[in-house]
Amino acid sequence: MLDNRKISPRQYYIMVSLYIIGSAILVIPATLAIEAKQDAWIAEIIAVAVGLLILPFYIQLGNRFAPMTFVQYTEKVLGKWPGKIFSLLFIAGFPFLSASLTLRNVGDFMTTQVLPETPIEAIHIFFLCVVILGIRYGLEPVARTAELLFPFVILSFLLLVILIAPQIEFKNILPVMENGMKPVLRAAIPHIAFPFLEPIILILLFPYINRSQESGKALFTGMVIAGVVMIVITVLAVLVLGINTGRLAYPSYILGRKINIGHFLQRIEIMMALIWMITNFIRLTLLFYISAMSIAQTFKVKDFRFLTFPLAIIIFILSIETIPNSVYLQELVKIWPWYALTFALGFPLLLLGVAVLRKK
Amino acid sequence: MKRKLILLSLFLIALLFVSGCWNRRELNDLAITVGMGIDKSGENYRVSTQVVIPSQVAGKKGGIQTPVTMYKETGESLLEAIRKMTTASPRKIYASHLRVLVLGESLAREGIGDALDLLSRDQELRTDFFIVIAKKTTAEKTLKILTQLEKIPSVNMFASLETSEKSWAPTTTITLDQLIAELLSEGKHPVLTGIQVIGSQEIGETSENLDQIDPSAKVKYSGLAVFKKDKLIGWLNEEESKAYTYINDEIKSTVGVITCPEGGKLSLEMMHSKTTVKGSVTGNQPTINIGIRAQMNIAEVQCSVDLTKTETIAELEKLSNQKLEGFIEASIKKVQRKYKVDIFGFGDIIHRTHPKAWKKLKKDWDQNFTKMPVTVKVDSRIRHLGAVSSSLLKDMEKKE
Repeated sequence: MLDNRKISPRQYYIMVSLYIIGSAILVIPATLAIEAKQDAWIAEIIAVAVGLLILPFYIQLGNRFAPMTFVQYTEKVLGKWPGKIFSLLFIAGFPFLSASLTLRNVGDFMTTQVLPETPIEAIHIFFLCVVILGIRYGLEPVARTAELLFPFVILSFLLLVILIAPQIEFKNILPVMENGMKPVLRAAIPHIAFPFLEPIILILLFPYINRSQESGKALFTGMVIAGVVMIVITVLAVLVLGINTGRLAYPSYILGRKINIGHFLQRIEIMMALIWMITNFIRLTLLFYISAMSIAQTFKVKDFRFLTFPLAIIIFILSIETIPNSVYLQELVKIWPWYALTFALGFPLLLLGVAVLRKK
Repeated sequence: MKRKLILLSLFLIALLFVSGCWNRRELNDLAITVGMGIDKSGENYRVSTQVVIPSQVAGKKGGIQTPVTMYKETGESLLEAIRKMTTASPRKIYASHLRVLVLGESLAREGIGDALDLLSRDQELRTDFFIVIAKKTTAEKTLKILTQLEKIPSVNMFASLETSEKSWAPTTTITLDQLIAELLSEGKHPVLTGIQVIGSQEIGETSENLDQIDPSAKVKYSGLAVFKKDKLIGWLNEEESKAYTYINDEIKSTVGVITCPEGGKLSLEMMHSKTTVKGSVTGNQPTINIGIRAQMNIAEVQCSVDLTKTETIAELEKLSNQKLEGFIEASIKKVQRKYKVDIFGFGDIIHRTHPKAWKKLKKDWDQNFTKMPVTVKVDSRIRHLGAVSSSLLKDMEKKE
């Protein structure tokens, strides 16, 4: 059986927003600020706007596949064997690799900020165990978990915003656009690629939504929520941390660390870490689920669950071996836009082109 | 069913061994460091840490022993020195509760940049401790002086700096992230508060210091240290330090003494003060206008003025304006002439408000700073006269 229980549009948009907030929330203010300095917030707004602008394309694409799954659709359009190769390439290249990078993000964060002496492997294994557990239950239980955790994430986020507000210094935002548009755009481009090109992965879930006519709207809602959260966190980082933002590895975490209400309410940065663990859990679970499901469909495997352990081992090894140290991740940011574009634009355009030519 | 039961019991047993976290550190394994001092000895760093002795500060019993102990080591890098301390200390240094970081004056003169890297890179340190400079002494000696009201000397230093910033003004609390932001900024050089040991160092280091009503040795904040980038180049005196906090709008409360029209002194207590610094650029010439709105109360009158008349109050306000404008302008001039570095952050203000002009000015900003005209305009408002209205001297005159 291939997991027949469906999720509701509401569950879908919650998962989408948690997925997009995912690993971006902790690192994005810094990656933006390195290029754009105090204009990081403008870069963020541009990235979100572009992300929402290209969304209709993905929604169209998703509706075109549904009710077929991605794998079935490619096989129909490209023929059996080319279709299989195409979907495997796509799955391995984008969601599967993203899954291992996401896992690495979790490990890197935990070992630099919270548990410096714990081996990263231990963190990865435990995190993966929870993810596998979720996937083996199926998509719907994961969706319900997301539904349960969502209010918690939003409330903690609001709490963070309120508690850090007294430390805002508006002068940090000046001068606006000191060096013109160029650095702002240079900062925005990698951020558009990560994570705003990733709806291409999320639309693969369209066939599992029970009221399919609402899928597009749900995807849009999820993206808007995530976009607002990211804009708020970037604006806060610039206003509170100022010139320091670009120097820090995890500026949002440091925001939490700076909370200090009357020497009494302080040292609650771990709340920020908790938000991040939850969003990353949903992100990794979805990436993993989509990969496992699609691979199972390609090989016509009856039950995708037996794939979870072998795939988990590959993800684990990739997460350790592809990135020898955290500087690699920063280098990766530079090439990632082109890489992501290949999968987020190249692959679907190829698919659409063939579909139009062969009138399928 | 049976299989499930076996699995369940296996998991339960496993739970016994996986409880807690990998990195756990129990309270009694930690050497809680509240103060850290860094000095230079030759090419190496000399790090001294003030570690709390929990049994001496817990409860009421107040010990015969000192409340803190000190570990010190020399090393090529800070971390090397800190880790070397385990050769003497039974516990590993734990710096999350650091309150003050004292930098020795000689280290500060050579540059503090290198020493700050570890402190911002290490995840154990938070950024909420204060950084001060040991004036005319070493950081180590400063951290050795025992204090009375707050048993832990570093906590005493932390609280004293916080209080004096709030109610006296010529001191400023700088935390690590502020300091780094100022070091990175092109338009401001950092400033740190200095701390001095007053009295006998030898007695101060022993508990004898605690047995006296007037301790033989005290640590005392005095003046601000002026930096050029990360190198200390000189000190501001009390009045100049006060001018600095006025310009940076850090005044919460302070006392200003003015001379009455007919001689004698009158003290004004600052209740609320707001400084706005505006920059403007005409051609290539930057100018800075400082506006201060100050609300104050009359706190102490040692002259015979008639406080019941509004004219007197207006005159006192004018005197206060002149006094404040006078010393703030003089202090800026002194910094412009003597130190030639922009510690007031005027460059930052030009940068934020006139980004285009700043591009041309920033290359030799300190040069521009020394020639820059600065105007100070103070608007003092006297609000209250305290619990009595007329002055005691005036009333005595009437009786005669």
